[in-house]
Amino acid sequence: MNLRISALEYAEGVQNGSISAEDFVAGTLEHIAKVDEKIHAFLSVYDGAVDRARDIDKKIRSGEKVGACCGMPISVKDNICIRGEKTTCASKMLEDYVSPYDATVISRLRDEDAVFVGKVNMDEFAMGLTTEFSAFGPSYNPWDTSLTPGGSSGGSAASVSAFECVASLGSDTGGSVRNPASFCSVVGYKPTYGLVSRYGLISYANSIEQIGPLARTVKDTAFLLDVIAGPDPHDNTTVKGGGRYLPGIESGIEGKKIGIVSEMTGEGTDPAVASATSDAISRLEGLGATCETVSLDMVKYSVAAYYTITATEAGSNLARYDNLRYGYDLGVEGYEFNSYVEKARSRFGPEVIRRMILGGFVPSAGHAGRYFLKALKIKSKLAREVGGAFEKFDLLLSPTVPMLPFEIGAKIDDPVSLFLVDINTVTANLTGRPAISVPFAVSGKRPIGMQLMADSMCDAELLQAAFALEQTVRLPEVPL
Amino acid sequence: MVTEDEIRHVSGLMRIKIDDYKEYIDKVNAMIAYFDILDSAGVESEEVSFHEMSVSDLRKDSHIPFDGSLIDQLKHYKGAYVRAPKMSR
Repeated sequence: MNLRISALEYAEGVQNGSISAEDFVAGTLEHIAKVDEKIHAFLSVYDGAVDRARDIDKKIRSGEKVGACCGMPISVKDNICIRGEKTTCASKMLEDYVSPYDATVISRLRDEDAVFVGKVNMDEFAMGLTTEFSAFGPSYNPWDTSLTPGGSSGGSAASVSAFECVASLGSDTGGSVRNPASFCSVVGYKPTYGLVSRYGLISYANSIEQIGPLARTVKDTAFLLDVIAGPDPHDNTTVKGGGRYLPGIESGIEGKKIGIVSEMTGEGTDPAVASATSDAISRLEGLGATCETVSLDMVKYSVAAYYTITATEAGSNLARYDNLRYGYDLGVEGYEFNSYVEKARSRFGPEVIRRMILGGFVPSAGHAGRYFLKALKIKSKLAREVGGAFEKFDLLLSPTVPMLPFEIGAKIDDPVSLFLVDINTVTANLTGRPAISVPFAVSGKRPIGMQLMADSMCDAELLQAAFALEQTVRLPEVPL
Repeated sequence: MVTEDEIRHVSGLMRIKIDDYKEYIDKVNAMIAYFDILDSAGVESEEVSFHEMSVSDLRKDSHIPFDGSLIDQLKHYKGAYVRAPKMSR
């Protein structure tokens, strides 16, 4: 069974009878059992997925209509709720939590006959960039297992890259889909804020996070976005008017104006990444686009603003974990209420505790004006700067991450160095814009992704440009 | 700079029991020191922008039926009540 195919190739194969959903899903589970010892992408694997796939085959044989996903095996980041399954957020705090409901994205994929093969690893509560902050141990990059797969959706990216599924869902608060997509050489998409429902996503920083797909190709990404996007009465931040993304994806980018963000391509960029960026610019120009440098002054402050805002929102969001309504098994007998809650919450990992301390400190009386309020002002000014750029340009380009994938453990003790991995990705989150990471080059065994960003609700145009860029490169296969 | 006393105070507010406060001082201080870059952004006169939403656009605050027993999902309950530790010693 050839598992190295795209989601659309899979769906076409099942529809024309050349692929059996049951065989493909069974093959996927066997492959997971074989390779995941090395990759550790999965926190839980659903053996019942084969039964679901068998049902799809039966439906097809009996002439019943099947959904567009045709039983395609999909992995899901472990902060997205699937009814009856554990949703741990890679935290000891939620290690026994079983969700009583489906996230909206899960319902929509189910309605189209997707098959979920398991939950994948992440940094605890999505706070991190490498999966090293998972309470259940890190994931490893399929390109080179000494390297981090990126994060926080590192399990999602690694599982797609290692052919343990055809696509995955992640969440992107500051680059958590795009960063691991870049490190693992897969496509990662952060939609316009509000395009995809967050109902059933365990909250980290509600004002900026979005669920996004990771897939092998830009077309697969557009296909998945068609399934999961759209208004949801359960999430008041969802917006109308998204449209369709796969039709028209081959429209090309002739005549488009692309801004090259100088603050994301200059000092501190690895030479191999800088060279790949120059190459990407040449290729886009070769396709008929015009490229010009643009400066976004507030990008310099965006990472500090991002961490100030997210720590504050995380401090509030994580206050709900008192272990009484959801959590792990810790008996209540013999405890006074406050000491029980304190004891229960000591199960949070060190990075989560650090960010909660920050989240208590930066908005507190005496410090809020210096940190939190200023961060909100930078967010507003950055949004105006980006809005101004999109009056002149159709798209903005930068490398997704200014550095190459690095060794596991290389930055774990240096929080500021880790923060700066996010420098090119947080702008899309702080301003609500859509952005995509497209696999573009490989330096040794270290993949490099290019990031394209578009104006709000221009997701279709963004995917068209990403598809055009993707067609200009032929990359080596992951050396599994 | 954040002191051990401040970390102790904030962690108390966040209801986190920490055994070794010193363990957190260096990394939290490094993070806060990095945030000092915010001082040089020159945004004092900037207005914070908000996305406003009419109350009429919010979803109804209504009961959503559940086809199971939610309380069975808890680790500690009695009848229809969540079991919690006593509020005072």
